[in-house]
Amino acid sequence: MPTVKPLRRLTTESELKSEEVVATKRPWNVVVWDDPVTPMSVVVVIFKKIFGYSNNKCTQLMLTVHHEGRAIVWSGQRERAESYCVKLQVAGLQSTIEQDQ
Amino acid sequence: MANRLFVRRRDGRIEVRINEAGRVIAKEAFGRVVAAERDPDHEWHAGLNAPINPSSDDDDPLSMLTRQSEISTNAELAYMTLNEEFLNDAEAWAWLSTFQIALRSTAVANGLLSEEKLNACEPTLLDYVHTLQLFLFSLAECL
Repeated sequence: MPTVKPLRRLTTESELKSEEVVATKRPWNVVVWDDPVTPMSVVVVIFKKIFGYSNNKCTQLMLTVHHEGRAIVWSGQRERAESYCVKLQVAGLQSTIEQDQ
Repeated sequence: MANRLFVRRRDGRIEVRINEAGRVIAKEAFGRVVAAERDPDHEWHAGLNAPINPSSDDDDPLSMLTRQSEISTNAELAYMTLNEEFLNDAEAWAWLSTFQIALRSTAVANGLLSEEKLNACEPTLLDYVHTLQLFLFSLAECL
């Protein structure tokens, strides 16, 4: 009885593997959301303390949050994104993580 | 200068110039954050446990535990240093974080999620929000 090579299955497996690689390479974003009560200067101080960014960069990010309703404040590895998100929440800002589109 | 509630001194410490009435408000705010973190039925509890990754059904338990522990530590440190005349940087950061959590939790619990709703809320609540904002403004200038 001749053996049939399971070509389709191999192809599917290899496609799945390549999709997995692509998925894990997409960075995770830390997003900060606007709210009407938090003073702007407080947001700048929190960004400086947590990320160590320059005053200008912190102010730019704060203004993006204020005008656009949200800003991506950091991108990279999922574990670090989660850690930064927790630090922002501990400091009282509304923050979430999302995988880059 | 006379109106500043917190002042960075030359020796690096932060002087607390809040009067007795202000300290009562601070005590109430810090106490509520401590209570909310411990009590799952507290009206602020859900706000303190907002999703980290909304695309997932559950957040990483380790991250949730870290958040709970750090919020409690900050709030307890702020509460313990309530009557201090001077704060170091770590204590001032604990005060700022805890004031900010109290402010945001108050806004979320009362549905103050837009400028319009904030301006239309009852005067007592608006006064409370403005007082917390004043504390935060002044403290942020020192950090």
